[in-house]
Amino acid sequence: MAKDKPEKRLRLPGSGLAATVMLFFMTAFLLLFLRDFAWQGLALAAAVPLGIWIGTHVICRSFHVDMLLLTLTNFLCALGILVLYDTNKALAYHQAMYYGIGLAAMIACIYLVRWTKSVKVWRYLTWPMGLVSLILLSLPLLIGRETNGAKNWIYLGSVSVQPSEIVKISLLILVCHFMSRRQMLPWLVFSVGCLGILMLQKDLGTALLYYGVTLMLYFASSSNVLLTALGLGGGVGAAVMGYRMFAHVKKRVAIWKNPFADYDHAGYQIVQGLMALASGGLVGVGLGLGSPTTIPVYQTDFIFAVICEQFGLVFGLFVLAMYVAIIWRGAVIARGARRSFHGLLAMGATLMIALQTFVIIGGVIKMIPLTGVTMPFVSSGGSSLVSSMCLIGLVQGVESLNRDDLTEDERMTEMPQTFGGKRGGRR
Amino acid sequence: MKQQRRQFKFLAVLMFSLFLVLAFYGGYSVIQYGNRWFSSSRNPRVRSQKENVMAGDILDRNGIILAYTDTEGERHYQAEEASRRAVVHVLGDRQGQVANGVESFQTAYLYGFQSTFPELVRSFLSGESRRGDDITLTLDSRLCTQMMLSFDAHEKTRGLRGAAVVMNYRTGELLGEISLPNFDPDRIDEAVYQNPGQPFWNRATQSIYPPGSTFKTITAAAALMNLPDIENEQFTCTGELPVDNGFIHDFGNARHGKLSFQNAYRVSCNQVFAQVALRMGDQELKKAAEKAGFNDNFLFRDLVVENSTYPADNRTEAEVAASGFGQSAVAATPLHMCMVAASVANGGVMMEPILLREVRSTLGDLRYEAKTRVYTQAMEAWQAEILDGYMRDVVVNGTGSRASVSGLTVCGKTGTADSTQNGEPISYGWFIGYLREESLPYAVCVLVEDVASGDGGGSTAAPIAADIFAYLRDHDGK
Repeated sequence: MAKDKPEKRLRLPGSGLAATVMLFFMTAFLLLFLRDFAWQGLALAAAVPLGIWIGTHVICRSFHVDMLLLTLTNFLCALGILVLYDTNKALAYHQAMYYGIGLAAMIACIYLVRWTKSVKVWRYLTWPMGLVSLILLSLPLLIGRETNGAKNWIYLGSVSVQPSEIVKISLLILVCHFMSRRQMLPWLVFSVGCLGILMLQKDLGTALLYYGVTLMLYFASSSNVLLTALGLGGGVGAAVMGYRMFAHVKKRVAIWKNPFADYDHAGYQIVQGLMALASGGLVGVGLGLGSPTTIPVYQTDFIFAVICEQFGLVFGLFVLAMYVAIIWRGAVIARGARRSFHGLLAMGATLMIALQTFVIIGGVIKMIPLTGVTMPFVSSGGSSLVSSMCLIGLVQGVESLNRDDLTEDERMTEMPQTFGGKRGGRR
Repeated sequence: MKQQRRQFKFLAVLMFSLFLVLAFYGGYSVIQYGNRWFSSSRNPRVRSQKENVMAGDILDRNGIILAYTDTEGERHYQAEEASRRAVVHVLGDRQGQVANGVESFQTAYLYGFQSTFPELVRSFLSGESRRGDDITLTLDSRLCTQMMLSFDAHEKTRGLRGAAVVMNYRTGELLGEISLPNFDPDRIDEAVYQNPGQPFWNRATQSIYPPGSTFKTITAAAALMNLPDIENEQFTCTGELPVDNGFIHDFGNARHGKLSFQNAYRVSCNQVFAQVALRMGDQELKKAAEKAGFNDNFLFRDLVVENSTYPADNRTEAEVAASGFGQSAVAATPLHMCMVAASVANGGVMMEPILLREVRSTLGDLRYEAKTRVYTQAMEAWQAEILDGYMRDVVVNGTGSRASVSGLTVCGKTGTADSTQNGEPISYGWFIGYLREESLPYAVCVLVEDVASGDGGGSTAAPIAADIFAYLRDHDGK
C-alpha cells in the first residue's frame, strides 16, 4: 500500500480538463448548428456540456471518485453523440437520451458496489441472479429476430434490448464474487453456460469478450499459470474448431485476409471502412464533411472509421490513447482495492472495456477479423452505452470505497496531527 | 491479495501492449496503403468529388500535355491516336478501365483532395469552379510512341502482345512504359471490350511472366556469392541433363560442350544453370531472388505493381533446377525485370521506380517533388561488376547481339520462357539490358508474348531494345 501513496499525490488533470471538454463539444455542436440551423443542434450544444458537467463535477463531488476517468468517459460518450448527430440525427437524439440514462445507471452502480461492502445479505442473491441472467441471455433465442447474422436482440414494443450487454455486468459481479471466495465450480458453470448460449446465437464477438475477461480474471485471482494456459489452449482449440465447422466464421476470416477479393458483397463493408480511414489522412476532412455514411453499419461497428475520416488519424490515435488512460486508471483503482472481490471487479470492468475496444478497432483497421461488437461509449446503441457506463460505475464504486478506506487509515494513524488542522478530512 | 495486485499490473501492461500494436498497425497501414485504398475507383468520395472539381492536367517530362480538362469540364487526351494509344496504360482513361493509371491512382492530386484550406477559401470566394492539381510525369510520351511502333516495325513481333519498359537506373525515373495490345481512350467501343487480348490490362506492371533465361542474372549473382571458385570452373553441357525422372534441354536442343560459367551465361546454357542451382540449393537461390525483390510486397509510391514470385519451399530437384533458368513458377513483371537489369548497371543498387516528377497547384505552387529513393540493395557491388561484364559479353558475342547499337555500349540478357496459357503452350521472348553510358543511364526490358517456335528473346525482343537504345541516343534530353 505504501507504494500507492505517491500515486495518490500525482496531480491529475481535473476540472480544467472537464471544462475544456465541455467547450469543445459546445463549439462542435454550434458548428453543426450553423449548417442547417435546426434547433436540435442548439439544444445539444447546451445539453451535452450539461451532461458532461453532471457526469464529471457532480458525480465526483458526491462520491469522491476518479475525476480523470469520469472526464474521459464523458468525452467518449459525447464524441459518439457528436459523430452521430453529424451522420444520422435520429440516432443522435436516441444516443443523447441513453447518455442521460447511462449517467443515472453509473451512479446506481457506484451505489451497488458500496452496498456490497456493507450488506452481507446480498451474497444469497448471487444464485438467483445467475439464473435470471442465463434466462435473460437465452431470451433472444426464443423471442428474438435475426439481424446481421446474429440472433442477439429482443424487442419490447419499439424498444430493442441486447441482453448480452446487461448480462455483461452480472457476469462480472458473479465471476468476481466466486473467484474472490475461491469457489471455482459456480463461476465456471455460469460462464460456460453464457458462452454456450452466445454460441447458439452466433454472437461470437461477445463470446470472445466474456471468455477473454473471465480467463484473465481467473489468472489474476489464482496466479495459476498452468490452468490459465489450459484455458487459453481450450479457447484457441474452440476457435479452430469453430473455423472448421461454421461457414460464416470461415467467410469472416477470408474477408479479413483479402477484403478486396469479394468487394461487391462480403468485403464491401471493410473496404469502405478502409477507404474512409484513408480519406481522412492525418488531420481528417473535418467535422460535417466527407461521406462516412457510405460504410454499412457506420453507426456501430465502424464508428471509429467515421471518426478517423472526419478528425484524422492523429485524432484516432488520440482516442486510442484515451482508452489506454482508462485502462491505466482502472488498473490503479483495482490495485488500490482492499478486498479481493472489489479489486477483481474493477479490473474485470476495465478489461471488458479494453478488450472490447481492441477487438472492434482491430477489426476496423483490418488487423484482426471483424467481429460485430460495439465500440464502448461511442457506438450508437442504448444497451451498449448504458452497459459501458455501468462498467465505469463499478470501477468508480471501488474507487470510492478505496478512498473511504484511505480516509479511515489517515484518521486511525494521524489523528493527533490532523485533528482540527490539515485538509485531510474528506467529507 | 499481493499476488493479485501484481497480476493486475501484468494484465494492464498486456492491454497497453495490445493497444500499442493497434496504434502502430493502424498508422502504418494508413500511411503505406492509404493512397491505394483511397484512389480505388470504388471509392464513392472520389465519384462525388469528380462532379464538383475539374481534374488537373497531366504532362510528360517534355511538357507535352497528355490530358487536360476544358472549360466545359470535358476530359481530353492527345490529338494523335498513336500518341493516345502509346501512353494509355500509364495514363489511364476517363472511364477507369485501366486499373491504377495516373488518372485514377493520382485522384488525390488530380481532383484537389490535397488542396489546403486557404486555397479552398480562395476558390470559394472567387466563385470559379475548383480545379485539381497539375501533374508532370517522368514519362517521355514520344519515346512511348516509338516503343509501340517498334513492335510493328519488325516482322517477327508485328501484331504480337507484349510490354516494354525504360527507366533511368540512377534515379529510378520511368521514361517509357507500354503494353500491347492497347486501345484508344477516345474510342472504347464493343470491339475493344471483346478483344481477346484484353487491351485494358497493363502487361508491364500487372502481369507476371516466367522470366526465363533473364533470371539467370539472379542465379549467376547467387552462384558468385555461394560458389567461390565458380569463375574458374569448367562445366560440361551434353545436350541433356538428367534430373529426377526427366531431362533438361537447351533452347533449340543445343549442345555447348565444355564451357566456363561466363560462357554459359553468354550462350544461355540451361544445363549449367540447372547444375549450379542444384549445387547451391533452393534456399540460396531463393535468398538471392528475394534480395532482388521477389516475394516482396511492392509498395511503390507512384505505381501499383504486381508482386513477383519465387515459389515456396519443399520442391523437387527438377523444380529447383528449372528455377535456375527462370522457370517452374518463378514469375516477374516486365517492370521488375527492368529493375533487375537496372540494379546491375547501378552497382547493385535497385532504385524505386518513380513516375511523378512534380505536382503543382492551380496557382503554380509546388505541391510535391519527386525524390529518388533506393528500393533495395539487390546484389553487392562486386557481383554487379562481374555481371556487367557478362551482360556486355552477351551483346557483343552472345545471344543478345541484335540489341547492339553502333556508338553505344549495350549490355543485356535474352530469355525465352515456355509456359502454358489457357492450356496452350506459349513462349515468351525477353530482353533486359542497359546502356553503359554516363550520359545515357537507361535500362530497358522488352517482353514479347507468344513468339513463333524457333524464335526467342534474342530474335524478337532484342531488336526492339536496339530501336529503343538508338532512339534514346538520338533524342536524349529532347
